[in-house]
Amino acid sequence: MIKFTERNLAPPKQMRPVYVVAAGHSDFRKRYPEKKTEELCVEAFRMLALENDLKISGIQELKGYIHSAFYGHFADHFGDQLLGEALIHDRLGLDPLGNVGIKTGGATGGSTVWMAANAVASGYSDCVLALGWERMDEVDTWTGNHYISTAADKDFETELGHIYTGYYALMAQRYWKTFGKSSDAFRRTMSKIAVKNRGYACSNPFAQGAARLTVEDVERSPIVADPLRFYDCCLMSVGASALLLCDEKTAYRLSDDPIRLFIAAGSHTLRTADRRHMDIPLLPAELDNTDVKRHYMDLYGDGETEPYPGFTGFLAARIAAHYAYNMCGIYDPMEDLDLVELHDAFTISDIQTYEDIGLRPYGSGPDYIESGDAYLINPNTGEPGRLPSNLTGGLIGCMHAVGATGIMQVGEIMWQLQNKWAKFHAPEELWERFGKEKPADFEDLQVQGARRGLAISHAGVGSHVTCSILMRPEALIKK
Amino acid sequence: MTKNAYDFNNLNPSATVIRRLDPLVIEKPRAPIHIHTYGGETRFFKGLAEGRLWGTYCDNLDCDPSGREAYIHLPPRIYCPDCLEKMEWQDITDVARETARIHTHITVLNPGAFNRVAIPCQLVSIEIEGVATVLMSQLMGAEPEIGMPVEPVFNTSNPTFTILDLAWKPR
Ligand SMILES: [Zn+2]
Repeated sequence: MIKFTERNLAPPKQMRPVYVVAAGHSDFRKRYPEKKTEELCVEAFRMLALENDLKISGIQELKGYIHSAFYGHFADHFGDQLLGEALIHDRLGLDPLGNVGIKTGGATGGSTVWMAANAVASGYSDCVLALGWERMDEVDTWTGNHYISTAADKDFETELGHIYTGYYALMAQRYWKTFGKSSDAFRRTMSKIAVKNRGYACSNPFAQGAARLTVEDVERSPIVADPLRFYDCCLMSVGASALLLCDEKTAYRLSDDPIRLFIAAGSHTLRTADRRHMDIPLLPAELDNTDVKRHYMDLYGDGETEPYPGFTGFLAARIAAHYAYNMCGIYDPMEDLDLVELHDAFTISDIQTYEDIGLRPYGSGPDYIESGDAYLINPNTGEPGRLPSNLTGGLIGCMHAVGATGIMQVGEIMWQLQNKWAKFHAPEELWERFGKEKPADFEDLQVQGARRGLAISHAGVGSHVTCSILMRPEALIKK
Repeated sequence: MTKNAYDFNNLNPSATVIRRLDPLVIEKPRAPIHIHTYGGETRFFKGLAEGRLWGTYCDNLDCDPSGREAYIHLPPRIYCPDCLEKMEWQDITDVARETARIHTHITVLNPGAFNRVAIPCQLVSIEIEGVATVLMSQLMGAEPEIGMPVEPVFNTSNPTFTILDLAWKPR
């Protein structure tokens, strides 16, 4: 569809409030022969049950609350296990509860949270487990790249090199040459994102890609698919993440500090080829801003200058944000939110997402980094950044264990809003549990007084995107 | 013990390759062949082998917004994405020869397994006048640039019956 009705775009409804109360992860590694997938899933669940200050006597009491389970696992061929959700469900000992596997590429984790939230919102279940995992280490990287490329159109895209990064880079190149003007300054902004996210990963005991890099390190790293270099690209990971969602009554029975969750999803064609020009669906703050509307006319013309969303924007992210913002009353995300976790599959797609979700107008994404807004401490001023992004390290610094990624992001935002970031990142014991030493340059990445956060989970070259918004109950915008 | 004692259902445990002893890590080889149909898109893939480029359009006059001939889809679609009526085929070889341009491009240096294109491969997205979409393909014998005029070349002598039978060269 390239024309939408008001009915198509109506704000999604939750028939009753949805809360998140607990989260847990395994650590994340490129290769993890020491543990089977089910061990990683059980470890994530054990952390969820035993380390989130839940008002329960133990795991069995918690299992007595769970009513249905939603499992995110994208790539059957990677894991070499069809119906893996049945296997994991059994290892968690949750039979005979109903469960379902969910797969939407890179957005699998986000979609799993989406489905789990809807089960609570509809009244079907009062307490739901969302748990996701990925195992990408059974094949070599060469075969792994082929496996990933089969998530493109197999007749029209996959044959062209069997390399997904290439299909993504076609968009990156168009953005880089048109909006970025192929400039060194734009290249530098991309590098800063990699430096920032790898750097934040240094204070994350779960993270796989911790590194103190310089912009020069990023720009000297090998080209994967021009303009994307090694450090512009996300990690490939093994690991699991879990989240517990509840209705209001169960949430307060289990936790003294439950967090509200709103979540919505959008989509766009699998093949980038098929993205026809359309009008820009405007976000709430843009609707009232004549400057932005004039800027968009200059930028796109009526599609003659540059098609929208073309190769420069992700319609799925724009629509997911449109639904989510209108669902919970976000007007200007820069004002209304305190932190975000974005799907930084590539530095350029991260910049594109800033624009899709309205952190900056289309064409102006790099300013979110350059202004210092995207940092915990603004490097230009030394003051707190306006809207820190990817304090976990994101996909570039922490992990991309596909089915777990979107779940990990929501869990981490929840911990931030509960003021529990330190509890899950600072203890020496946690670093030792994952065979690591807590680094001497460990930083406290708790966003002081954080009340609202957002997470974007993204698939394919923008085929599926979910937008989660978490709020402290006393900080709701729409009452 | 004889080999036959292990050899049931063609499974031969003696062939197991051990990668690591603790944790125990073994190899699980396989080489399946898929039997794949092009179904309603057959004309497109046969067309490449015959040196023709086929797109599709929706001729349903009630279809909004694409019910007009200028709005061609390439890759072709069997059903219109808007009204879901069957689309009509149109030979767009000549218009592609005259109007095709590079919309975006990248160089693939490290392909995935089973790749059959020559490396480095210039991956390009192609704009064609009257076509609503931007086809992904490959460029031969030139350094690509955004806006570069190109024309299609076809592998008619020894077709693979895949999208690789189509490439582009500077015009
Ligand atoms: Zn139609």
